[in-house]
Amino acid sequence: MTSGQNRRQFLKTAGATSVGILGSLAGCTRGGGGGAEGTSTSSGSSGSGGSGGGSSSSSGGGSSSDDLAIPLSEYDSADIDWQQFEGDQINIGAVQHPWVSAIKPAIPVFEELTGIDVQWNILPENQFRTKRQTDASTGAGQFDVFFMDQVVNQFREEGWLQPLDTYFNDESLYDESFYKPNDLFESSRWQAHGGGYSDNWTGLPITVEVQTQFYRQDLYDKHELEVAETWEQHRQNAKVIHEEESDIVGTAGRGQKGYGMNIYILNTLLRQKGTQLWTEFPNDSGLDTEGVIEAAEYYTSLLQDYGPDGASTQTWSDVQAAMAEGQTGHIVADANMFWGGLTDDESSVADTVQIAKVPKPEGGELNPNAFNWQISTSTNAENSEQGFLFMLWATSPPTDLWINTESSGVFSVRQSTWENDDYISKVGEDYAQVSLESLKASAPDPFDRKYPQWGQRYSEELQRAIAGQKPAEKAMKDAAKAAEDIYS
Amino acid sequence: MSTPTQTETTNTRGLGRLRDLWNDYLPYWMIAPMVLVMVSITFFPGAYDLYLSLIEEPTINVFAAEFVGLEHYETAFTRGGAVHSFVITVTVVVSALLLESVLGFLLAALVAGVDSGRMKSFYRILFILPMAVAPVSLATIGRLMLNTEVGIIPYVINTLTPFAAPAFLSDLPLLTVILLDTWNWTPFMFIIFYAGLSSVPDTLVEASRVDGAPLWRRYVHVIIPYMKPVVFVATLIRMIDLFRTFGVVYGLTSGGPGTATQLVSINIYEQMFINNSPGVAAAIAVVYLVFVIAIANIVIATVGFEGVWD
Repeated sequence: MTSGQNRRQFLKTAGATSVGILGSLAGCTRGGGGGAEGTSTSSGSSGSGGSGGGSSSSSGGGSSSDDLAIPLSEYDSADIDWQQFEGDQINIGAVQHPWVSAIKPAIPVFEELTGIDVQWNILPENQFRTKRQTDASTGAGQFDVFFMDQVVNQFREEGWLQPLDTYFNDESLYDESFYKPNDLFESSRWQAHGGGYSDNWTGLPITVEVQTQFYRQDLYDKHELEVAETWEQHRQNAKVIHEEESDIVGTAGRGQKGYGMNIYILNTLLRQKGTQLWTEFPNDSGLDTEGVIEAAEYYTSLLQDYGPDGASTQTWSDVQAAMAEGQTGHIVADANMFWGGLTDDESSVADTVQIAKVPKPEGGELNPNAFNWQISTSTNAENSEQGFLFMLWATSPPTDLWINTESSGVFSVRQSTWENDDYISKVGEDYAQVSLESLKASAPDPFDRKYPQWGQRYSEELQRAIAGQKPAEKAMKDAAKAAEDIYS
Repeated sequence: MSTPTQTETTNTRGLGRLRDLWNDYLPYWMIAPMVLVMVSITFFPGAYDLYLSLIEEPTINVFAAEFVGLEHYETAFTRGGAVHSFVITVTVVVSALLLESVLGFLLAALVAGVDSGRMKSFYRILFILPMAVAPVSLATIGRLMLNTEVGIIPYVINTLTPFAAPAFLSDLPLLTVILLDTWNWTPFMFIIFYAGLSSVPDTLVEASRVDGAPLWRRYVHVIIPYMKPVVFVATLIRMIDLFRTFGVVYGLTSGGPGTATQLVSINIYEQMFINNSPGVAAAIAVVYLVFVIAIANIVIATVGFEGVWD
């Protein structure tokens, strides 16, 4: 072997190694597998029949049509030209999320159906937010499809998000009878239209979670308690458990600040009082109205009287852990998706925990908070049409049903999936029924373009109230002033 | 037209000039690469931060940026909570620095007084351990240990004392942050002070002992003055590091309850990554940079550099 050959070999090896390392550092994966391993937070099965082989080939691991997780015939009824972008590639920016784990085994189906290669860029949530903002604001357009959340209206108003209506009107890309948009929950559609701030589609919803309450049946039996339908009943149940049980607090709830924390719960409570935020946008936040103050007083005193010490610092994971470890009698109102963690093998209350709809005030309406993740495309993306095909495929009835019945998903945005017998049998009748009824009555928060800013201030004030630093009424009045100042 | 000899002479003269230039400014040439590195990794980010604080939105096209003057600075100090976070930061820095210095010195003095070499080694390792814990791990461990329901610290207080354990993170957040930082970083002061104590000549200590000076006098009049440069450097480094504290406090309290532990670093993070206000974040960062440089210079000017650099 000549030295020249050695050098060439070395360079090739070094080059391949460098690319591999860089790829790993960037969290880049492609095709139907790999990438999210070790970082996924998904529970349950990882798919039955998906190839998911971690391949780098454009067809997702070289799967033949017979090996595909979902038969291609499921998409035959769509009057869509699936193959019009054959040979192209799309980049998807995503957070490490159960949806990614759930859909990955089905990616070869999309690649086979369309001939489009899928490249994943999966990052932890905070890093992803930074990368997404940089990508969108600087016009880099690296992501053809990316995860979108509370900042949807900030991105939309800055002109960074591309409305999807043009694609919905393109007959080669969209077929209404196949896609069945009205099967999406109303709240999910509403959220995908900028939470009431836009008439256009800002993206397509991929997951939804809704608030429910969780309680301990053993304690209910022991103290002869009835499932609470009203706030007052819930307070009474929490009081009994708090006072009668020595090592168990009456209830637990998010107290930590942050717009995914304490106000995620409070917004449900205030809506049930008939109060809405920003009734006169952007002049009146509504945060100092009677309904909000009553909701804040209820939640604050509930946690202070019957919650754990230091409830103001409790995050959603603290709340879930307290319930799973048997430290609390209830979770007053939190994501239905806790159900999985509360009933798995590691939960000490798996045999006794029950799920129910969120209690409402006397005479109030059930109107729990629902949170959607959606996927969007930016105005600077090079392959937005290809990205739209992916969004459409990923949220279409056959794919959604497969993700939630055959793969690890439990967060369908389609009513038909929640009513599917296979899905009900997978997640359990209680979970399915309570979630479905709650989802039908739910409403997401109205994420206006400055929600992250005023939401943070609002949550800080609520945290102060829960910590006993100021009365709830004063806290909400201060929150209203802070929110309105931001728009002044 | 020049002859070959003339050209040769000119070339030789040119090379000679270059050689003279190289020789005359040799130290500067040697430092130049490092200067370039420092400019690129220190001054450029600082200048970019200043630029971000003066424009509406970040953009790759520098010339397309819309300058907004001091608007972000005004926002930072009116509704951006800058003043509050500066006060919180100074409180944490001063308190933690005092505690860590005093405890670090006491531990160093105690270990230095141990006769057994094996025990000395044991104590050194024991006291250094907390410093090895990563901030995020420390915050997680802290949250668990201080948890009122399942935490070991409230359990011990409730079991072994007649007092009820407070809810540390919600009732005493600032004190908790200071104490946790003290636990984490006292080892740093211990190491430096221990090294300083070890460098004090035995003859000086022996002479003062022969003169009949009691222990505290030996420390006050002989040992500590001899250690002054070490104390000064350790304190300065730790002070600057304290101004940068972020991970532990963010992991422990996220700056709350409310804004009770919102250090400047946390405020900058929230402005940038939660409020999506890079201009306001940059404005606070610029003021903070100037503030920390000013404080460091005041400390240097007050305490003096004698014996530190020379």
